[in-house]
Amino acid sequence: MKFIKASFLVITMSLVMSVAHKYYVSVTQISFVKEQEAVQIITRIDVADLELTLQERYDSNIKLSSVNEDPNNDMHISRYLDQKFKIKINTKETPFNFVGKQYDNDLVVCYLEIENIKEINTIEMSNMVLFDLFPEQKNVIKTKINSEVSNLIFTTDDRNQYLNFK
Amino acid sequence: MKLFKYLCLSIAFISFNAYAQDQEQEVQTGHTNENKFKQLYDEFATPNMYRTGSGAPGPAYYQQQADYKMDIEINDETAVLSGYETITYTNNSPDILTYLWVQLDQNVRQKDSPSKDINSSRITPALSPSRFASSYMSERFDGGFNVEEVTATNGKDLPFMINQTMMRVELPQPMKTGDKFAFNIKWWYQINNHVTDGGRSGFELFPDGNRNYVIAQFYPRMAVYNDVEGWQNSQFWGRDEFALPFGNFEVNITVPADHLLDGTGRLMNRSEVFSKDMMKRYEQAKKSYDEPVIIATQSEAEAREKGRSKKKNTWKLYAENVRDFGFATSRKYIWDMMAVKIGGQDVMAVSLYSKEGNPLWEQWSTKAVASTLKTYSRMTFDYPYHKAISVHARRQGMEYPMICWNYGRPDENGNYDDRTKYGMMSVIIHEVGHNFFPMIINSDERQWTWMDEGLNTFMQYVAEQDFAEWYPAALSAGDDKYPSRRGPAKNIVRYMGGNQDYIAPIMTKGLNTYQFGNNAYGKPATALNILRETVMGRELFDYAFKEYANRWMFKHPTPEDFFRTMEDASAFDLDWYWRGWFYTTDWTDIGLKDVKKYYVSSEPNQYAKNYASSRNINLEEMDLVYLVEEGSDEFDEKLRQGTSADNSPSLKEYMMDNFTPEERKNIKQPKYFYNITFEKPGGLVMPIIVEFTYADGSTKTETYPAQIWRYNDREVTKVIASEKEIVSIKVDPKQETADIDTSNNSWPKEVEESEFDTFKNKVKGK
Repeated sequence: MKFIKASFLVITMSLVMSVAHKYYVSVTQISFVKEQEAVQIITRIDVADLELTLQERYDSNIKLSSVNEDPNNDMHISRYLDQKFKIKINTKETPFNFVGKQYDNDLVVCYLEIENIKEINTIEMSNMVLFDLFPEQKNVIKTKINSEVSNLIFTTDDRNQYLNFK
Repeated sequence: MKLFKYLCLSIAFISFNAYAQDQEQEVQTGHTNENKFKQLYDEFATPNMYRTGSGAPGPAYYQQQADYKMDIEINDETAVLSGYETITYTNNSPDILTYLWVQLDQNVRQKDSPSKDINSSRITPALSPSRFASSYMSERFDGGFNVEEVTATNGKDLPFMINQTMMRVELPQPMKTGDKFAFNIKWWYQINNHVTDGGRSGFELFPDGNRNYVIAQFYPRMAVYNDVEGWQNSQFWGRDEFALPFGNFEVNITVPADHLLDGTGRLMNRSEVFSKDMMKRYEQAKKSYDEPVIIATQSEAEAREKGRSKKKNTWKLYAENVRDFGFATSRKYIWDMMAVKIGGQDVMAVSLYSKEGNPLWEQWSTKAVASTLKTYSRMTFDYPYHKAISVHARRQGMEYPMICWNYGRPDENGNYDDRTKYGMMSVIIHEVGHNFFPMIINSDERQWTWMDEGLNTFMQYVAEQDFAEWYPAALSAGDDKYPSRRGPAKNIVRYMGGNQDYIAPIMTKGLNTYQFGNNAYGKPATALNILRETVMGRELFDYAFKEYANRWMFKHPTPEDFFRTMEDASAFDLDWYWRGWFYTTDWTDIGLKDVKKYYVSSEPNQYAKNYASSRNINLEEMDLVYLVEEGSDEFDEKLRQGTSADNSPSLKEYMMDNFTPEERKNIKQPKYFYNITFEKPGGLVMPIIVEFTYADGSTKTETYPAQIWRYNDREVTKVIASEKEIVSIKVDPKQETADIDTSNNSWPKEVEESEFDTFKNKVKGK
């Protein structure tokens, strides 16, 4: 067992190295839609990077591809986002529903939703997506909450951001 | 009020310091020209005898020449490349040269190369044992050049000094204009595995020990000396590509006898290295214009890859007027070719791939090559070389004269998704297109990545659209045109509307830009596409673009040469466009701020009354046509009835006095008047494209030139006088200006279903 694991790690390592020169930014849009009492989140992540990360974390056979897609892929992505992307609204931890995802060229676009939010006084966000494999990764979150727009950057040094609307 | 202000000023005068803050609004200061339409004299180099103000090469334009004779050998057992070259350098410059600079690009892979040290690094908190080992426990791969000899043709050693990736060779005596100097270099280096160690050249290793070699930057190459840079002195750090002079190459490459090989230039000893079958198929391919002919089959390749020949073969190639040389060799290669007519000449479209690329490669590679040559030739000049090769190489996308490496590999069972298929077609079109930019229109890639990548990505978009039109079978079900990733305006919106901390102007050296792909490929490609489709129109743009290509074919252009030629050949002042799109990180955002509707009335409105009373004018004595705003206190529902003349006796009388009954019958008589205010939260000036929808359902689109913003960069107003009632107005209805926020583009305000809701409803609908 250990041997198998070690050998697939060698393969993934080589993949990481050859693409290591690229510069990555994931972009996430968070919007509070008051009429729907919902926080809607669209996050765009490089599909090759996410695939590598899921392979290394969960299963080397994971392949993010629209052809003959494994129905478990959504579960893997949702699990990963649960671990790496956290939101607290009005100081309470607020888990999101994974509505679904679709591929857009080199990106996988994930749709997440937090329901039953009547108002937002404070929001705390932590976006550590892909940091576990790509230390140079940067994640940008654009928020549109209570008609205020913010542009936030998350890096391995700066994992948490806080907005106060009171 | 007036008195108070006066008082304030006098107090301020007495105790200036204390009131300085409060007085700021009153004190004017001068300023320099910050107009978005300011000419680019400050940014552009002054035209001179080398490069003219028209953007063309000037009467004193010159370029250097470097001719190469090389003997190269690859030892497949040790993966070592060794070579001996004689470079003949011609000084066409008016300057006296006392030394030459030679580029040693492979030194970026030297063990102690500083290229890795320019990247910051940080601790990864959790990492796999293998990554830990490779990061902290392993030695760096040592793949730099080992220079064994630098000699003059008389055999005497030439003094040289190596500074990272550049080698200075001392000349025995200074080179004057027109002088030629020949010298020899002997070298070898350990070829890198490009899949694991990265790089644009190297080999892919297969489990059975076979290697596919895609080889470039493998020889010491002359640096460029020219009128703008002198000797090129920007080191190779691994990302920014190359600046190279033109020359002729005579290259003999020795590889194992069971290898196939193709590269830059004409194969001079085909009958020595081709089997009889291959010769026969090659003759067929030269006459096949619709389908590629397989020269070396998959079953032959599978037989070859089982053996390991101890014998050697030397492949002899000769190329004229190329800026570089690359080749690919392996015993695993399948080879196909097809002829394509370019301007009356036959060019060979060629593909080399191992079985891992099939079935995709034999279906599409050569056709993509042929299609690309046709599109680019139409937009620039007839492809001047005799062949263009697409080589399948894992995770590569890299270009050299006549040859390029391209990714796109199905899985082990030969299955592939759209991402793989379109990715492969796009990269082939892109890399083959590089034959034009920068291989022939030879810009300095090290300084200006966008000049080759941006122009080429723009052309790639045009070529992709052509390709799908000419080969509709290449499209997947559901696609009616090629799904180009870069080019369409709306695809750049997310980048240009993104966080400014991570965006650099296009006019930035490639090495120093964030988001390299968007900066050097996507944004310039989109800028040119918008220029062509929306700002200039195809006729003007295509003529000027072609002029640029022809002026600088087999020469070395700079950014200004491009900018100036585009204006010179089109009579289209584009300084504002270059300034906004190429010199800043501004974005487009144009919207509708306010729309007011007016009707003609005979009753004096409040505005007229105020005006009259302040000047003691009796309105009764005046013949005026009044306009009143719908919904205002002065508005009367009756005004909706009848024509403008019906509602304004003075207008009616004027018409009867000045027009014949015949003229009055045909005269345009607008009834609805709109005062439309456009706002521009974005920094870019762009034309305003407005679509009016009328009550009868018809629509009309107006385009106001970008110059409308020249006096007010924030807000402009337009009056529309219309015979038909307008029910809605939309700015940029076809999303062709890269407007980053379309929520302010409609009147009445349109509530668009959000992207999120659209997706959610689609998922629910399943």
